[in-house]
Amino acid sequence: MSTEALDTGFAPERESGVFARAGVLRRLARDRVAALAGLVLAAIVLAALFAPWVAPYDPYFTDLTKVMQPPDAKHWFGTDNTGRDIFSRVLYGSRNTLMLGLIGVVVGGFLGGVLGILAAYYRRLDGWIMRLVDIMLAFPAILIGLAVAAIFGAGLTAVVIALVVATVPDVARVARGAAIGVMGQEFMEAGRAVGVSDTELIWRYLTLNCISTIFVFLTLRFGQIILIGAALGFLGMGAQPPIAELGMMAAQGRDFLFMAPHIATIPSCVIFVIVLAANLLGDALRDVLDPRLQT
Amino acid sequence: MIRLALGLSLALCATGPATAQTLHLMKGIDAPHYDAQRTTWGPTSDIVNMFQDTLVALDWDGRTPVPYLAKSWTISEDGRTYTFKLRDDVSFCSGKKFTADDVIYSFKRLKDPAIKAPYAWRAGDIKELRAPDPYTVEYELKEPYSELLLQLTMFTNVIHNKESVEALGKDYGIKGADGTGPWCFESWHPRTEIVLKRHDAYRWGPSLYKNKGPVKFEKLSVKIMPEESSRVAAMMAGQFDITHQFPQQFIAQARAAPMLNVTPAKPNFQLLYFGFKTTRPMVEDRRVREAMSIAINRAEIAKGVLLGNADPAFTIVDSDALDFDPGTKGVVKEDVERAKALLDEAGWKMGSDGVREKDGIKLQPKVYYTQAGNTPRVAEAIQGYLRRIGVQWQLQPWDSTIASAKMAEQDYEIWSVTVPYLSAGDLMNIYFDSKNIPTPNRMNWKDAETDEWLKQGRSALTDTERAKYYALVQQKVMREHLWIPVLNINMDQVANKKITDARPHMIYQNTFYKGLDVSRQK
Repeated sequence: MSTEALDTGFAPERESGVFARAGVLRRLARDRVAALAGLVLAAIVLAALFAPWVAPYDPYFTDLTKVMQPPDAKHWFGTDNTGRDIFSRVLYGSRNTLMLGLIGVVVGGFLGGVLGILAAYYRRLDGWIMRLVDIMLAFPAILIGLAVAAIFGAGLTAVVIALVVATVPDVARVARGAAIGVMGQEFMEAGRAVGVSDTELIWRYLTLNCISTIFVFLTLRFGQIILIGAALGFLGMGAQPPIAELGMMAAQGRDFLFMAPHIATIPSCVIFVIVLAANLLGDALRDVLDPRLQT
Repeated sequence: MIRLALGLSLALCATGPATAQTLHLMKGIDAPHYDAQRTTWGPTSDIVNMFQDTLVALDWDGRTPVPYLAKSWTISEDGRTYTFKLRDDVSFCSGKKFTADDVIYSFKRLKDPAIKAPYAWRAGDIKELRAPDPYTVEYELKEPYSELLLQLTMFTNVIHNKESVEALGKDYGIKGADGTGPWCFESWHPRTEIVLKRHDAYRWGPSLYKNKGPVKFEKLSVKIMPEESSRVAAMMAGQFDITHQFPQQFIAQARAAPMLNVTPAKPNFQLLYFGFKTTRPMVEDRRVREAMSIAINRAEIAKGVLLGNADPAFTIVDSDALDFDPGTKGVVKEDVERAKALLDEAGWKMGSDGVREKDGIKLQPKVYYTQAGNTPRVAEAIQGYLRRIGVQWQLQPWDSTIASAKMAEQDYEIWSVTVPYLSAGDLMNIYFDSKNIPTPNRMNWKDAETDEWLKQGRSALTDTERAKYYALVQQKVMREHLWIPVLNINMDQVANKKITDARPHMIYQNTFYKGLDVSRQK
C-alpha cells in the first residue's frame, strides 16, 4: 500500500484547514462581541502597520516648549514630558507591542509545539522534554526578562527572549496532550505498519491534526504575552528611549500622574483594549474551532 | 470591661512614644555600600555623615570649616603642617574612646592603594601623620594644600574605628560600621531601608547646631523609594518626616500642600552634566564634543523638564562658587547650525537614516547614567535635540546600586551624574586630575598642563594665586568641551510641618547632615 493510498484511505479529514473550514468566519461574524473585538484589533493592527503614514507627527520629535499638554485638536492624545505627540507614539508603540506579542507567540508556539509533539511521538524523550518544560514553567516570565536584561542589557531582545521562554512550556504541554490523543488513532498505527517515515508521520499526520488545538491555545495566549511584554517594558527591561513601546510609555508617565495623567493612562488604556480584544477574539475562535463546544 | 478598656488604652499609650521617637527619612536612591573611603557616591555620603564625623565641619555658608572632632588647629608658615588639637570627650558608638590613633589610622587607610579610594586626594599629599599625645595630630603635607580644611569636611575624610574595620572586613560599610556621629549604624537592607539609632553619649555637636547632642529621636529610619510618584504620595500622606529627594517637577505641589514645608538649601552648587570619555574614538574629536554641547537648549530643558527648578548651566563651575573664572562664560554658545557644521568638518556625514556616519561607523554614542532622579528625563530631552543634528544617543540607564561600577568601565562614550561641589578647585580636582583616572576622571583626561595647574592651585599660599591657576584649568577643560554642563540643580528639602529646625545643608547632596536640631512638634 502506498502512502498515497493511506492519505485517502485511512486518514481522517485533515484539520489543517483551520482557516478554510467552512463557516468559521461566518460563525465568528455572527458573534457580535467577537466581531467587534476583531474589528478593534484589526483597526489597531492596521494603524500600527501603517504608522509611518498615519502618524501626524514624528514620534521621536521632542519639543520642550510643549510638554505635558492635555489632549486637544492638535495633539489628540496630548504630549508627553518631552513634548512628543502621544498619538503618534501610541501608533509606533502599538507596533512594537504587537510585534513583541506576535514574535513571542509564533516563535514560542513553534518551539513549544515541536517539543510537545516530539515528546508525544518519541516516548523515550517524553520524560526529558517534560522535565525541561517543568523547569521552564517554574520561572516567571518577568524574572526571566530581568535575568536576560541583567546579562545582555535592557532592550527588545531581552523581552523577546523572555516572551518566548514564557510561551514554550505551556504550548509544549498543550501540544503533547493533543498529540498523545492523535497517537492513539488507528491511522497512526496503520502509517507505521506500512512504513511511512517518522518525519512524514510527525508532520503530515500528527502535527496537522494537532495544529488547530495549538492555534486556539495561542490565540488565547496572545493577550497574556502582550501583557507580559508591556509589563517588562514598564519595568524598563524593554525598549529604551526614544523607541516607543506601550509599557515603557506608561512607565514614563507614572512620574507625572498627578500633573498630566494622560501620559500614563492613554498607553495603559491602549494595552487594555488590545489585550481585551485579543482575549475576546481568542475565546470566540476557540468556540468556533473546538468541536466539543459546538452545539 | 471598663478596666480592660483602660488597660488597653494605657498599653497603647505606652507603645506610642516609641514610634514617635523614630524619625522617618526617605530618599529615592540607595548606595552600593557605606564605606566612605571607597566611593564618590552621594547616596553613601549622606548616611555616612550621620554616623561618622570629620575633624572639621562645614558651616551653613558652604565655605567655612568649623571645629568638630578637632577643637582647634594651627597651620605652619610654609602651609605644610597642620596641628590639630582633638576633643577628649568623644567616643565611638561601640564605646571605644576616640584618640589621635583613630585619625592616623583613618588617613593611612584612605591613602592605602589597596583601598583604591577615589577621593584620597581630598586629604592632600600626606607626608607624615604624627601623634605627639593622644589628643594632638600633626598632619604634615609634602606640599601646601590651600583647600585642606575645606576638604576635610567631606565625607571621604570621616574618622573610622580600626577595630570595626578589621572585625567586619569586606562587610565593613555593609553589615555595619562604627563611628562617632550622632547616629549609630544599626542595619541596612539594600534598596529598602537603613536604620540608625541614637548615639546616647554624643555631646560634641559642631557650632552650627544649637543642640550639641544627643539627637532628639531614638531611631532614624531611611527608606528607599525609587518611584517618584510614590515619594510624592508618601510625603503628602505624612508617611515620612523629611526628604531631600522630592521630585523637582512636584515642588510646586509640595509648596502648596498644607502639611509640607519646602526649604531650599542655600548656597547650593550642584551640576548635572554629561561627560565625554575622550579615549573613545567616537568622541575623541573636540569638534564632536562641542557640537553636542551647543546643539541643545538648556533654558528649555530647565523649564520643560525640571519645570523651572534648575538653572541652565553654560559653565562647569557656578558663577557664585569660590574661584569661578568669568572668562569661561561664552565658551558654550548654543547654535544648532554651527553644531552641524562642526560635525561635517569632523568628517561625520549625514546618513540616509538621519544618523551621521564616518568610516562605516554610526555616530551613536553609548550614554550611561543612573535610572533615578532627573537624569533620565534630561538624557531623553538631549537625545531629542541631538537627533536634529544627526547624533543618535544610545541611552543605557543603570540601577543605582551598580551604576557607579558600570561607569568605572570603559565601554561607553558618555555618562551623566549630578555632582555637588564646594568650589572651583574642588570640582576641578575631583574630575580633571589625571591621578583620578579611571574614576572620577572618567574622561581619561591626561594633560600635563592641567595637572600642573591643579597642583599649583592646590599648593597656592594666597587666594589670588589659587584662583589664577584654577581659572586656567577651567578655561582649558571648557575649551576642550570635556563635559556638557547642562543644569545647576536646585536642592529642596521637603519636610512635614510637624518637623522643626530641619535647616537644609548644602554638603554633598545631603540636606540632613547631622540632624542635631531636628525635632517633632508634640
